[in-house]
Amino acid sequence: MLINLLVVNPFLDNLLKVLSLVGLMTISAMSLIYLERKIAARFHMRLGPTRTGPAGLLQSVADALKLLGKEDIRPKSADPWSFELAPYFVFIPAFMMLVTVPFTLLLNVQMFTLGLLYLIAISSVSIVGWVMAGWGSDNRYALIGALRAAAQGISYELPLVLAVLCIAMLSQSLNLNVIIESQSTLPNILFQPFPLFLFFTAALAEMNRSPFDIPVGESEVVGGPFVEYSGIRWSMFFLAEYTTLLVMSILIVALFLGGWAWPFGENLGTFWQIMLTLLKTSFVIFIIFWTRVSIPRMRIDQLMNFCWKVLIPLAFLQIFFNGFILVLELPKILLSISSIGLLALLVVIVNKSIQNLNKEIVS
Amino acid sequence: MTDIKKEIETQEILVNMGPQHPSTHGVFRMVLSIDGELITDLTAHIGYLHRGAEKLCETMDYRQGIGFMDRTEYLANFNAELSYVMAVEKLMNMEIPERAQWIRMILVELNRLSSHFMFVGAFGVDCGVFGTPFLYSFRERERLIDLFEEITGDRMMYAFFRAGGLAWDVPVNFESRVEEVLLSSEQGIKDMDGLLTQNEIFLARTKQIGKIDAIDAIDWGMSGPSLRASGVDYDIRKAEPYLFYDQIDFDVITGKNGDVFDRYFVRLQEMRESIKIIKQCLKHLNPGKTLAEGASRNLRTPPGEVYIRTEAPRGEYGIYLVSNGENRPYRLKIRSAGFSNLQALKDMVVGSYIADAVVILGSIDIVLGEVDR
Amino acid sequence: MKGILRSMGVTFSAFLRKPVTRPYPDIHKKLPETGRAFPILLWDQSHTEPYCTGCHACERACPVECMSVIMKDNPNHINNGGTSKRKKIIDKFWIDYARCMRCNICVEACNFEAIAMNNTWSGHETSVYDRKDLIMDLPQLLAQHRSGNIDEWVTS
Repeated sequence: MLINLLVVNPFLDNLLKVLSLVGLMTISAMSLIYLERKIAARFHMRLGPTRTGPAGLLQSVADALKLLGKEDIRPKSADPWSFELAPYFVFIPAFMMLVTVPFTLLLNVQMFTLGLLYLIAISSVSIVGWVMAGWGSDNRYALIGALRAAAQGISYELPLVLAVLCIAMLSQSLNLNVIIESQSTLPNILFQPFPLFLFFTAALAEMNRSPFDIPVGESEVVGGPFVEYSGIRWSMFFLAEYTTLLVMSILIVALFLGGWAWPFGENLGTFWQIMLTLLKTSFVIFIIFWTRVSIPRMRIDQLMNFCWKVLIPLAFLQIFFNGFILVLELPKILLSISSIGLLALLVVIVNKSIQNLNKEIVS
Repeated sequence: MTDIKKEIETQEILVNMGPQHPSTHGVFRMVLSIDGELITDLTAHIGYLHRGAEKLCETMDYRQGIGFMDRTEYLANFNAELSYVMAVEKLMNMEIPERAQWIRMILVELNRLSSHFMFVGAFGVDCGVFGTPFLYSFRERERLIDLFEEITGDRMMYAFFRAGGLAWDVPVNFESRVEEVLLSSEQGIKDMDGLLTQNEIFLARTKQIGKIDAIDAIDWGMSGPSLRASGVDYDIRKAEPYLFYDQIDFDVITGKNGDVFDRYFVRLQEMRESIKIIKQCLKHLNPGKTLAEGASRNLRTPPGEVYIRTEAPRGEYGIYLVSNGENRPYRLKIRSAGFSNLQALKDMVVGSYIADAVVILGSIDIVLGEVDR
Repeated sequence: MKGILRSMGVTFSAFLRKPVTRPYPDIHKKLPETGRAFPILLWDQSHTEPYCTGCHACERACPVECMSVIMKDNPNHINNGGTSKRKKIIDKFWIDYARCMRCNICVEACNFEAIAMNNTWSGHETSVYDRKDLIMDLPQLLAQHRSGNIDEWVTS
């Protein structure tokens, strides 16, 4: 009955899907926050939340309730429009990104032919929200943080797009499902390890996560753009942050790790496909948490240098190699070799620049 | 280029860091004037934690003052107590039992270890690692503090040294407990070393930052690891040995460059040296008295003045004590290392980035209780 | 890159180790017998009276002046038909725990071993809603030792 209704009425169908996405977004953000606290705690040899519910499971719920109950404070000198609207500019793009995320073959709200383009385009809108938040709060820390966020977000958009481009060249499509299907035998990570690194780094920078959490760096600008926010508005930033984390991780899985297709092919049941996606995604998220607890924050000039002087030229080189190999229809193993070569080049460049720091010490 | 500059009006802004900023290590306040991300000027404000410890000590007898020394240097309390009781002992011309001296040395070095752990942890967080070095160092510091609690009864404010020796003898299992704690501390140092020292981003953040050369460092009156990082081979434990440091074999660690990395690395190496010192001290520990014969409860010193300096974790911790023959100091002056080291902050910070200012301040390792007294 | 991998190796090895947290209110760490919480007065069980004679020694020795002592003639003295040898005994005694800095000097100053530092958890868990509640009077100071609820080192 219900299924008939859904098939008959596409509007109702989509409405249901969108509503369930809102639920998914909240629940996933809350569980990700819980997981991050637990996993970071284990990396610190702590216990993490234990007291709210069994093993602290309800901690995120308690936090959410607390944030809902808090007073929504706006500083007197803040610009009301940009201050109040900024959370939505961060929150809504994050939500819109979820629309086209490929959980399984059939289960997503809308699969665009140019889904990847859409994702990349939407993901950069949130920078506007960050700048609005920083500018509107009339706080100097927030201002510095917002300008850092803008500079970093726009710069790292490029490596992100270039990494995606490498994959698009390989699978000849921007449709995420097509990209995933093309990996049903071998995942892209085997052919394109360097773009994976590129995408991972750029995604970390896009999400403002460590080691690129420069805009929010607590030890420098004390939370950056949202230093003045409290209560529900602040939690919207948080919700957006963790939704972006989820989307970016699923995207990494879809682009490089074969999404739901690899290694069991396309004919696996929907449930197992979801499980496979979730498993891979949690692995990626674990690695993101792991980097967060292990690596210091970069400085803004080093971040920019790393992006413009290292990542982008190497990304163009990779695109050039890919085009060369694909057009001449050379064996695919050359793709892997070129990519690993570029990765090695990156390591050499980083080591060299660190050695240069040492050299100045001697002289 | 010149036209653009004319058309776009730029403005330096003042950013107020502290006294509630998370990375000013207490209630230090610095006003940065910044041009974009670059710092053009810095004004440091201290005094938020001023409690008048020096003046307070003038109203108290010598035993009561010990508790206040704990509260000035609250990360290396034993070191602070040591300077104070040594000053009183020198005025009194007291003979200290050998066992008390060795135990003092062990405790002081253990305290140096815990203080440096605190530094490394806080410094790692300043560099932007999400809590990890802080938690690792606190894991080890907790074990040290547990040991101190077993010995003295309190976790931070020990008030354990007395003019003439110690308040009471250490527990029977002291030696085995110290060895146990040293073992875990070694693991902690190894973890810190692995976590930070070779990390490329950490190196990029710390090398060539906040440089100060040897001459400037001496001119500013810096001391301790911050001075040695600039390449000056000066350690009061070697230069004018107190306690039994002349009987102990240890190295003075120096850096080459005087940058933030060197200040971090000197401290990390010093922790290893401290472990070496403690292990040697344990061998000299013989049963005996821990309080000198003439040490009455209410001391009356002969008139005179004395200056005692010891090598605290942050540098030279000196006590200048004037007595006019009463049972309390006529004047007490604390020469604290943090205060002198902090003076060089402006020289180091101006011209670097905002993120560097935090790291440089962290590398000086100030304790505001000691800076403001 | 090698260094970053090494950092991640260190954190991962910590991930596999056992957490070191002591979940405090659930599990109370065993306090050492030298433990120094706030000072309490001791109770002479054999004469059913406090050891303290109200001699003001601790009051004078206290660096932060957190004690107030009032002495009286002992009604339980042998001359009055009692059992005790104490001529004078404590009448009123206040310690302001909010001022006390737990330096152990009052214990060292006491000639009758009548005051001791509490080395049980009850001495540490003293949070109250009103600062005035931290000013302890004589029955409160004596209560713990009177009920025998105390560890060894304190009384010796």
